[in-house]
Amino acid sequence: MNVELTDLTRRFGRTRAVDGVSLQAGPGVFGLLGPNGAGKTSLLRMMATVLRPNSGRMRLLGRDPGDYAPRREIRRRLGYLPQNLGYYPGFTVAEFVEYFALLKDMPPGQVPRAVAAAIESVGLGDNARAKLRTLSGGMLRRAGIAQAIVNSPELLLLDEPTAGLDPEQRVAFRALLRDLSQRATVVVSTHLVEDVGAVCTAVALMNSGKIVFNGTPAELTARGEGSDAVGDAPLERGYGAVLAAARSLTQVRS
Amino acid sequence: MKDGESAEVDLNRVWIDVAAEIWRRHPGRVERVTGRLLRSPGLARALVTTPSLVVGWVIATVVVLAAGLVATLTTGTAFVPLLAPAVAAAGIAYAYGPGIDPAWELVESMAVSDRMVLLVRALAVFGLNAVLGLAASAASGTAAVVTFGWLVPMVAVCALALAAATLSSSANVGVATGLAVWMGVVLGGRATTGSLVAAVTTSSLVVPYVLVAVVCCAIAWYATRMPRRTS
Repeated sequence: MNVELTDLTRRFGRTRAVDGVSLQAGPGVFGLLGPNGAGKTSLLRMMATVLRPNSGRMRLLGRDPGDYAPRREIRRRLGYLPQNLGYYPGFTVAEFVEYFALLKDMPPGQVPRAVAAAIESVGLGDNARAKLRTLSGGMLRRAGIAQAIVNSPELLLLDEPTAGLDPEQRVAFRALLRDLSQRATVVVSTHLVEDVGAVCTAVALMNSGKIVFNGTPAELTARGEGSDAVGDAPLERGYGAVLAAARSLTQVRS
Repeated sequence: MKDGESAEVDLNRVWIDVAAEIWRRHPGRVERVTGRLLRSPGLARALVTTPSLVVGWVIATVVVLAAGLVATLTTGTAFVPLLAPAVAAAGIAYAYGPGIDPAWELVESMAVSDRMVLLVRALAVFGLNAVLGLAASAASGTAAVVTFGWLVPMVAVCALALAAATLSSSANVGVATGLAVWMGVVLGGRATTGSLVAAVTTSSLVVPYVLVAVVCCAIAWYATRMPRRTS
């Protein structure tokens, strides 16, 4: 398993953003669904080794990120696209991707080819030498994805990767995810249910910091059958049914 | 080519090789030398992209110190030793951090340690400011105790600005803290001794400056500490 989380908790003040989460994920695309504020981003940030858990156990790529040497090794093999990725406006796309390739400790000799391959795979070849300040939101997002995949990561963490992408780009991105998931664990945090249905092999649904569903997209769809949950697609109805059940349980407890 | 031998060429692979050559960035001499010295091209790239080492910032630093030099020469009061620590503190606070680097969260997840980036950038900014300050101070023709006396206070003010910036995750807070405390020390020295440069010429202040520098460096180190074990 590339991701092993056991009873992971993260508090911000009195709020438990992540509350006793246990998860396992191997190769494939793992979807992390949930409403805004469910704790998806905090969980992803912990997996990206930029946020410390308050308690719990985490092993990534078979290593404990709490120690310096294993964490560095994890980071070499990690690709991360934060929800709010900042950009250096004076950098070109190629410079931006190259900068992060170097910070990922890639061998310098491999960097130019890896940068070119990453830029081409997100369809930004025509804009490789364009300054980031001249790009649209969707192009910037793709530049962010390019930096995430430049080191051919074994663990790829993507927070709302399709935000700002048009339908055609989203289809191309899903194809890219399928390709990457052949050799890596891809964790995608999103609130777009259709992204999960199209590409994920496993899915977890978060609500109020807890995992309220963990299974396959087909199992999530089955949860919506016979329920009165609203949604245009079967998967959306399953999502709605699980979420409604979790919320009513929370209300009963409180 | 013999008959029947496959003439297929992976055009995609060829194009990637071509694109890699076209898009390849050729690092400047400073970056190449730094990369060799630090044994890390990533660290070298991080260093040459330091916000407070860009040309505009360096020019601004030179302008401020030049203004201090002119003021010193025209009034006879040594302004350069008072300005140099303040300018350096601002540079250090703006060297690296969440309020400065637009892609900070991403940088934090990189294999090249953010602590190393911070250390290398802070040392480079400090070194440049020390050289510029010494040049301006020497040009102003002040006594040796004034010319070099500000270096220790500069270390303390820079460490304070760095600690405040890292603790608060805001470069502006770091700059404000450094400048406010330094201004307080200068004005306090003037109120006590009647001399505006007492803050850099009073030998009894050296030990407190060093103590402040050590404590603040420890705070900055703690604020950028590694995640604890998760198991």
